[in-house]
Amino acid sequence: MWQDILQSVRSYDVPQRNVIVASCALGGGGLLVFWLLTRQRKRTIEMGEGWWGFGEKSSNNEDESIRPFEVKTSEKEIQDLYQRLDLARYTPPLEGAAFHYGFNSNYLQKVVSYWRNQFDWNKQVDILNQYPHFKTTIEGIEIHFIHVKPTHIPSGQTPRPLLMVHGWPGSFYEFYKIIPLLTNPVGSGSSGENLVFEVICPSIPGYGFSEAPHKQGFDMTAAARIFHKLMHRLGFQEYYLQGGDWGSGITTHMAQMLPKSVKGLHLNMVFLSKFSCSDLISLLLGAYVPWLVGLTREDSRRLFPYFKTQVSFTLRESGYMHIQATKPDTAGCGLNNCPVGLAAYILEKFSTWTDKSFPNLDDGGLERKYSLDDLLTNVMIYWVTGSIVTSMRFYKENLSKNPSTTPSGRTAVYVPTGVTAFPDELLHAPPSWVKRKFKNLVTYSYMPRGGHFPAFEEPQLLAQDFKQFIRKVEHL
Amino acid sequence: MLLEILLAVVLGAIIYLMLIKKNEETPAEMGDGWWSKGLKPDSEEDATIRPFKVETSEADINYLHRRLEEVRYTEPLEDSCFHYGFNVTYLKKIVSYWRNQFDWKKQVEVLNKFPQFKTKIEGIDVHFLHVKPSQLGEGQSAKPLLLVHGWPGSVYEFYKIIPLLTDPARHGLNSNLVFEVICPSIPGYGFSEAPHKKGFNSVCAAHVFSKLMLRLGFHEYYIQGGDWGSAICTNLAQIAPSHVKGLHINMPFVNSMGIKEFLSILLGPYFPRLFGFQPEDIRGMFPFKTKILKTLLMESGYFHLQSTKPDTAGCALNDSPVGLAAYILEKFSTWTDISFQHLEDGGLEKKFTLDDLLTNVMIYWVSGCMVSSMRFYKENVGMLFTKNKYAELPVKVPTGIALFPHEVTYFPRSWVEKMHVNIISFNHMPRGGHFAAFEEPELLAADIQQFVEKVEKGNTSK
Repeated sequence: MWQDILQSVRSYDVPQRNVIVASCALGGGGLLVFWLLTRQRKRTIEMGEGWWGFGEKSSNNEDESIRPFEVKTSEKEIQDLYQRLDLARYTPPLEGAAFHYGFNSNYLQKVVSYWRNQFDWNKQVDILNQYPHFKTTIEGIEIHFIHVKPTHIPSGQTPRPLLMVHGWPGSFYEFYKIIPLLTNPVGSGSSGENLVFEVICPSIPGYGFSEAPHKQGFDMTAAARIFHKLMHRLGFQEYYLQGGDWGSGITTHMAQMLPKSVKGLHLNMVFLSKFSCSDLISLLLGAYVPWLVGLTREDSRRLFPYFKTQVSFTLRESGYMHIQATKPDTAGCGLNNCPVGLAAYILEKFSTWTDKSFPNLDDGGLERKYSLDDLLTNVMIYWVTGSIVTSMRFYKENLSKNPSTTPSGRTAVYVPTGVTAFPDELLHAPPSWVKRKFKNLVTYSYMPRGGHFPAFEEPQLLAQDFKQFIRKVEHL
Repeated sequence: MLLEILLAVVLGAIIYLMLIKKNEETPAEMGDGWWSKGLKPDSEEDATIRPFKVETSEADINYLHRRLEEVRYTEPLEDSCFHYGFNVTYLKKIVSYWRNQFDWKKQVEVLNKFPQFKTKIEGIDVHFLHVKPSQLGEGQSAKPLLLVHGWPGSVYEFYKIIPLLTDPARHGLNSNLVFEVICPSIPGYGFSEAPHKKGFNSVCAAHVFSKLMLRLGFHEYYIQGGDWGSAICTNLAQIAPSHVKGLHINMPFVNSMGIKEFLSILLGPYFPRLFGFQPEDIRGMFPFKTKILKTLLMESGYFHLQSTKPDTAGCALNDSPVGLAAYILEKFSTWTDISFQHLEDGGLEKKFTLDDLLTNVMIYWVSGCMVSSMRFYKENVGMLFTKNKYAELPVKVPTGIALFPHEVTYFPRSWVEKMHVNIISFNHMPRGGHFAAFEEPELLAADIQQFVEKVEKGNTSK
């Protein structure tokens, strides 16, 4: 066939041949230039720098000491809480509303009654303090973290450093059940285990016991940079990362910023910033011929019918995100003054984001997967630190710009990555889409159960998948 | 990106829904709803009209003061003005005024200067003001006028404009046009009882208000509203056109957008006349992406949250007066002039007094109606997806529209005319924003008068 084409071209007169050759060259050259321009040339994102303290950065060197920290409470704090719980004013729910209008106030009164009469904050503070806490100043603000070393190291092993990052409306407390499975696997019942980790679990600045930034612009890039500095300050040059929700975004930024420090990245929720024409086509055709557009049967099950499941669910569930990304100071003001309102706002997410069918239940299904003690401890972290407003500002700082045009959005991720897909996670990201950004996808697992807070809800499943990812990365 | 997907999907959903063919035939008379607890009893509803007075007590005031003292503030980011929402530095000043100078007892007397009543309709107590003119000329009769507020407003928004309408001569307005004003609180707002059942949307509110007017003995009346008041009054004109002499709104809605409207967004600036655009329309709408889309996205977080999770959103606000004030007053800043968000104090006191602003907030606080007021959003947005045949009808009653320059939304006349087929007055006002009656009562009253005059002339010339 080529011979025929060449023959026919040669048969043309010179001027015509020139035109053909010129246009081919132009076309080919154009395509080459286009390809060169559009492929992601940069494989990392800039680290940048920042200062988040009050006023101007002082010329003195930053105090790099790492100070032990203990969560404390007082009678005064508890009495203030009780007073506010006792004075709460409720609006009765509409008949038959379950959780469709938000947190059902009949069930809320039960939760508050438990909180007031049975929940023991002193005891929970002791539980929080079971792991060693520390604070250190980075870029002008105090960063809080827990640092859990393994109790028993198998001979010949060094514990692998692991940074785990929480999200909203969670906290470092979400990891309290999974940490023992990673630092003390034998003690937690996993026999024959020889994978042991040293876990560092910070609070994102503006969340929990970490100081909030005082300047505008504190986004995932800043958090990523601060957490790298934290790990280096602790003496780690290479480490693993794990995260979901904002933790997923922050750890992804970390992997893009300093890939040589990141041995592996494990995510239980993937942010995909680019939604292209081919994705649209996948969606249109995927329900009928998933194999043709790179989707698996399981992807099909989780994605379709697309409009009903993903889109209407997203619209119904993203009101909080919309207001927090635009008016965080207004949205959080009342919540910071009303523990009952704060609990309703936060616990509504622990209901809907754990199982999409929970809003149909009068009690939101909350106690099916969590204990009230655990749920309220997480709420108390937001309450005693007064961090709800600053936690919401993170939405505005990150969502004000178009994620697909940020450096992170335009750069791929090259470190070994493992992804777990829990069935009740908010958005399903099929492996074929994930691979477009995460070029070194080592494991992708469809989990049998669980939602948005897997470390809290299904710590065994998450730990198991995490370890099999590590084994693959280290070729064990 | 998520926000953009969201916007694209919302627009897509709206396009899809709006393009569904409308049923042109007049639907049957709307049946009665029942909004109280449990089943509707067989007995006749108690139709008495009972006088009502706003009351307060030392206990109420002390409780409020205690809550104002126990506030936990979060310091604003440096130089953030109102860009992150209500600035706490200014909020502290408001709370200090509220605690130390604001006199709720005095404001309650101000509220009680107009006669107020309650009556049970469809199972719930409906609160309303009923203000008759103090003096009428020889042979003159007062025209009944229903004024409907919106969110986060209340009947208090109309306290300045009511005297201009019931006693125009004293205020330099046309003394031939005197009104008898009925000003209800939407069920779920202020001193009206909240519905106990799901589904209470603007059409249901319109039905309740039409029954109210009939119960008061009015068979023909004028109606005026902005925000939800505009939607409810429009619905009232759709379900009871024989009773509505004229509809006046200061915030028009559009109930369907077709290919023509979408084309006009793309090509309007180049071919304005083709799409019926006036110069003011071009100024108000374009560039579309910044003036309309970006503003919509930035300012509709509250709408999105309240239309999906009202019970969650309102819970803390019902329990924290400072949070409630921040949430409500943010709107009185941005919706009066969107550029106010660049000011450290949100420009609030440029157009309103703190007494007036806080009295409106107090209505939400003492009645504890924040959650039920937010539920109205969910019920109405639900209509977008289930289609209400009454809300689809063209509005044939004589309509007057006053467009205030700083209103949050902008719809050109050519779009509004699709639904309002009998516009006899359409005026661009020189100044003012979303809370027209509160902010520019003279301008609004004058426009209502000139509209009613046109309607009356049109009627007598028949």
